[in-house]
Amino acid sequence: MRINATALVAGRGAFGLGSAFSALALGAIAIVSGRGAAAADMTVSVLDGAGHGVAGIVIIAQPETAVPERHIARRAIMDQQHMQFVPRILVIQTGTGVDFPNSDQIQHQVYSFSAPKSFKLSLYAGHKYPPIVFDRPGLVTLGCNIHDGMIGYIYVTDSPFFGRSDASGQLQLHGLPPGGYTLTAWHPQMQEAGENTLRLQFTLAENEHSTPVLHLTRPLRTEMTHDGDKRWTDY
Amino acid sequence: MDRLLTTALVLQGLLLAPSLVAASDFDATIDLRGVVADGLPSYLNGGLGELRYDEQHDSARLDSVRIGFHHDFLEIIHLNANAVSYADGDRSVVDLTEAYAEIRPFPLNGWRSRLKLGAFYAPISLENRLPGWRSAYTLSPSAINTWIGEEFRTIGAEYDLDWLGRQHGHDWELGLTAAAYGWNDYSGQLLAQRGWSINDRQTTLFGRIGEPDVAPISGLREFDSDVDHRVGYYAGGSAKYLDALELRALHYDNNVNPNSYSYKFDMFGWHTRFNSVGLRWTPTDRWTVISQWLAGTTIDGDSGFNNNVRTDYYAYEFHSDFVLVSWRRGADRFSARYDEFEMHQTLSDDFFNTDRGHAWTFAYECEINTMLSVAVEELLIDSSLAARPQIGEPVAALERELQLAVRLQF
Repeated sequence: MRINATALVAGRGAFGLGSAFSALALGAIAIVSGRGAAAADMTVSVLDGAGHGVAGIVIIAQPETAVPERHIARRAIMDQQHMQFVPRILVIQTGTGVDFPNSDQIQHQVYSFSAPKSFKLSLYAGHKYPPIVFDRPGLVTLGCNIHDGMIGYIYVTDSPFFGRSDASGQLQLHGLPPGGYTLTAWHPQMQEAGENTLRLQFTLAENEHSTPVLHLTRPLRTEMTHDGDKRWTDY
Repeated sequence: MDRLLTTALVLQGLLLAPSLVAASDFDATIDLRGVVADGLPSYLNGGLGELRYDEQHDSARLDSVRIGFHHDFLEIIHLNANAVSYADGDRSVVDLTEAYAEIRPFPLNGWRSRLKLGAFYAPISLENRLPGWRSAYTLSPSAINTWIGEEFRTIGAEYDLDWLGRQHGHDWELGLTAAAYGWNDYSGQLLAQRGWSINDRQTTLFGRIGEPDVAPISGLREFDSDVDHRVGYYAGGSAKYLDALELRALHYDNNVNPNSYSYKFDMFGWHTRFNSVGLRWTPTDRWTVISQWLAGTTIDGDSGFNNNVRTDYYAYEFHSDFVLVSWRRGADRFSARYDEFEMHQTLSDDFFNTDRGHAWTFAYECEINTMLSVAVEELLIDSSLAARPQIGEPVAALERELQLAVRLQF
């Protein structure tokens, strides 16, 4: 079975308008198309305790069999605006190159010492460095050595089937080969037991449109940044 | 004059070194005020009032012009300076409040060392977070942080070790701080004589603070004095839970020999020690609660500098605390703070001074845009200072100050 997968990767222009929400959605959602003869679809829902959809959750559908051939576009952007990473959470497939432009007027000094990808970008503004290729799966936490309040996340997955839930708490995945899957949901503000992830295993039949639901047992915790005041300095 | 020259040279060096400086390295604030004050003559004008302004010095005025400088150098060295002019007749028209270099290498697997060298603030205040060490919540910082701005500047070296737990998926960040410094052998003197104050005038590195007309203080100069050549220290720690909870604790000891005597200033050293704890709680994006507590002692030698007799000392105990609640929505911020403070003399051969009081501060700020903000603050201080009758003022005073501020930021 052959799966042709493409990803929408948000270009810089989308961020330039400051539309963080649309940038988050565009940057993260991979639309898998070019389905095979027996491909199935999936609508994943993430619900809170009251049954309401939860937006922004990273969702990975990991096939239990060998990962099919992938043709996802291998570029993504992690911008820096108003002393924040934008999007704050980026989910990409292994092998994707990520640009780290700095759209602020001040310099940043981006680093990660997470196991899947450790790197340092010396002080810079604008678009100075070539993309960094994330070649191992896992969670990469980003920081800025000048502004400790800046924290971003890049979730790197081997699976070509991934994205983040929309405003209604849903993610559409198309063209999945039938078989067994492990569904993983993650968000830095989740308060679930264990590794702060939700997992669900299920089997997808040919031509099925599956609608798995993941239930958060606790609400996302509130997260503040810089007391809401961007004028803060390092005192 | 030599200090004035030093200041001028430092500023000139910062301004003129073409390879070092770019226009984007600077920022500036112009602070215009309308003030209505009702209280005793201010300590800045020879009185023992605890406000910055008094009835003879209120009205519309230029409060201050501040110029900030920041330059990154050799990747890990960050140069910082703040210069200010209060236009109130200080020794220098423009003077520095901070000037330091910070060496800040990349973290190593979640651990990061930082080293500060120069003149800077000890990590005590949880209010003063804006450029120029200004409060993010009110025009006038709390009594504790007012005093820090008046009598304390670390002129020396501070080492910080940070554990950046959030980079490892934890919710906490922890820090340890230790510093060694000099040039503050008279810190504590102002508090012992004038008592506590609530105002936003930071003492500049080469400037003067007020000179209340009460013995034993006269002609006080602050940061340029080191008579005993002993090294002071402070050590502390911090903890931060996400960005919702921040805790700071510090032990401060200027380690001054109170028997050391300066013929130049006709003064003994002031040995000041205190403990400080602060907590910031930001439960939602809109609400912030800050509380700080500080308590300690200061001891000053008197006339027995040549016989080392402890009964010749002046000794004081002091403490203050406050709770601040602030609510922010968009450009608007409302803040209210309650301060209480106390200082009393425990050892003296002739004169006992005490200060007890509390204060309410109410402030509203509208950040109209990134260049312009407007703020209103009402401050009420109810205090009893035993020294006031020496200059013909009543011991107890209820002082009020209403300020309108227009701040231009460049």
